[in-house]
Amino acid sequence: MSNIIPLLNTMPTSIAPADVEFFDPPMCCPTGLCGPTLDQALLDLNEIIQTLERDNLRVERYQMTNNPNVFLANADVMKLVREKEMSALPITVVHGKVIKASAYPTLDEIHTALMELAK
Amino acid sequence: MTQFIFFSGKGGVGKTSMACAHAVRYADEGKRTLIVTTDPASNLGDVFEQEIGHQVTPLATMPNLSAMEIDSDKATQEYIDSAMLPIRDAFPPQIVQVMEEQMSGPCTAEVAAFDRFTDFLDVPCENGIAFDIVIFDTAPTGHTIRLLELPAEWSRSIDAASAGSGQTCLGPAAAIQHAKHKYGRALSAMRQSAQTRFVFVLHPEAISIKETRRAIDELIKLDIENFSLIINGIIPDEGMQNPLFAARFEMQAHYLMQIESNFPYSKQRMTLLADEIKGVEKLRQVGKVFFDGETALQMDEAVDVQLQDESFASPLDFVRAQVQPNGHRRTVFFAGKGGVGKTIASCITAVWLARQGHKTLLLTTDPAAHLGDVLDTFVGDKVTSVNGQLNLWAVNIDSKAAAEAYKTRILDDARQRGRPESVVKVIEEELNSPCTEEMAAFDKFIEYASQDEWDAVVFDTAPTGHTLRLLELPVDWSKQIDVKVFASVDATVADDVAKARFAKVIYMMSDPEQSTFAFVMYPESTPILEAWRAAQELSTGGIHPGLVVANMVIPPEQTTTLFVQFRRSMQEKYLKEIAKRFSVPQVQIPLLPNEIKGLKMLTELGEQMYGMEKVTV
Repeated sequence: MSNIIPLLNTMPTSIAPADVEFFDPPMCCPTGLCGPTLDQALLDLNEIIQTLERDNLRVERYQMTNNPNVFLANADVMKLVREKEMSALPITVVHGKVIKASAYPTLDEIHTALMELAK
Repeated sequence: MTQFIFFSGKGGVGKTSMACAHAVRYADEGKRTLIVTTDPASNLGDVFEQEIGHQVTPLATMPNLSAMEIDSDKATQEYIDSAMLPIRDAFPPQIVQVMEEQMSGPCTAEVAAFDRFTDFLDVPCENGIAFDIVIFDTAPTGHTIRLLELPAEWSRSIDAASAGSGQTCLGPAAAIQHAKHKYGRALSAMRQSAQTRFVFVLHPEAISIKETRRAIDELIKLDIENFSLIINGIIPDEGMQNPLFAARFEMQAHYLMQIESNFPYSKQRMTLLADEIKGVEKLRQVGKVFFDGETALQMDEAVDVQLQDESFASPLDFVRAQVQPNGHRRTVFFAGKGGVGKTIASCITAVWLARQGHKTLLLTTDPAAHLGDVLDTFVGDKVTSVNGQLNLWAVNIDSKAAAEAYKTRILDDARQRGRPESVVKVIEEELNSPCTEEMAAFDKFIEYASQDEWDAVVFDTAPTGHTLRLLELPVDWSKQIDVKVFASVDATVADDVAKARFAKVIYMMSDPEQSTFAFVMYPESTPILEAWRAAQELSTGGIHPGLVVANMVIPPEQTTTLFVQFRRSMQEKYLKEIAKRFSVPQVQIPLLPNEIKGLKMLTELGEQMYGMEKVTV
């Protein structure tokens, strides 16, 4: 555990988990713009996030270099990462539960999960 | 209060020597002095004749003087190591490997190098005691400007990041917030005239003056205003007895007047010395000439200068074989530190190739380029035929314009695919990162290099360290694209096309039948070492030098006086060393009574360097 303590410095300010969390694969930046062409799957995701935020849902995205602590804090996510390595990513979590791994969900899939897992 | 002095100026003007002479002088006066270089092709170790490296190193021979070379590769590694620390322990090896590859991208290198650079503006002390003076032997002008412009760009990108997605390619948002203050402080220290001075070292020559003007104007835009000038390389009385040097002094006198009227800053002159500046003792002597106005160092007239009866240049057909298209298209890259004559060499070569009947494109991505000045015609950021020379086209890739075009292309593409404006805005924010310009410029180069219509492409590359990073980009890009394949559900076809295009260029650059890397240098110690290191670094990527160009070589028939004999004998030692070190064909550009400019002169020099066979135009 001792090697994790310094990471507490980079914990998100809010303790309550977001409604929808995306555990992204390693990328240069959130839209994948560091290459010469745009990744349309990531752009789709960006639209989904904007839609969710318009509905007053809290959405967070995490990358391993920036937020390793958030990965480590979610046992289900880490189990997938250890088992399937890179192919586990991206992982989508709704209200703390993994709803999809290895690909981004559609907006419908997220809406369904939000209803099923409604608090 | 710690004083900061930045030495700026195009490579080869004696910037490092002058920075070191100042450092030695201040240290001798009892001031605690630190000299720092941020030049990717750093050479402080050569000048002080002591291994220096990536940490503050007290000099063995100088009690008050410490030095440091900011090695951007090492800075990058340190940055990666600290970011990777939590990941290495907790994540599976495959993920660790992908992350490490990803972090070796160009953004990381840029961030890390600048981060180290600002460290010295922020807390310049050793063992808790502040240095009195910190001297920065900065990178060549174009690169310096980019470094200095970064804080402003970063502030914007940091603001955008914290307002928007909370992520940028610059690293963890929290770390950046901390860095923002650091960069802000760095820039404000640079703006304090009472604390910071920018010293421009220049030669009394047109290109050097233009370069200095441009660099000063860029700094003025950043609200920096404390400047002074050192005009270096002025031919002393004892040099004037020789007609070539006398003619060059005439040229210098003209430009000295121009400098007097154009730059309202304090100015000091420094004479051209008969021999090299190396070692602390020599730097002290330079200080006496420069600060105390002592006459130039006495040459030991008793020494009998032995000149060799040899030119050291290779036979013309060996040289030609390295630049002529041989069945397929030939791309010639001119590499070397800024100011050693890459532009001159590439213009001579391009004009010669065109006159041989080859359809030739001459291009540059160097922000400090002056193709138009040398060709004596307008060269813009679109391919244009060179007026007065059949078969020759030229283009100056403006990295700022390229970045704008690149942004527009990506944003238009997103709009055409029906992305809402809110998403387009997110993309735009992401594109305002410091690496977009560099990527866009290289993307542009690849575009031209992939055109099949040229028989020959001559590339007047950016200065050495910068070039290396640019050349590493395609490899990094391929890696990034690999990572992105992981990221998306379906790899887009466009990515595959882009990847194939890069692979083609990488293959072209490493195939000696298609590409020649020509290293340009002065026959002097430091430039040779720099070129050699650059060549070594390139060879790790499978690219080997094909030609060396020695510039400003004193013609043997000009060695009529002791001063010139001293300088020719110094050059001979180094021409021999060039031949020995590189063991590839050597071609020479002679030292001339005036500047190289215009097609007529370029044509004559081309015939002298490459021969006159098959002149068609």
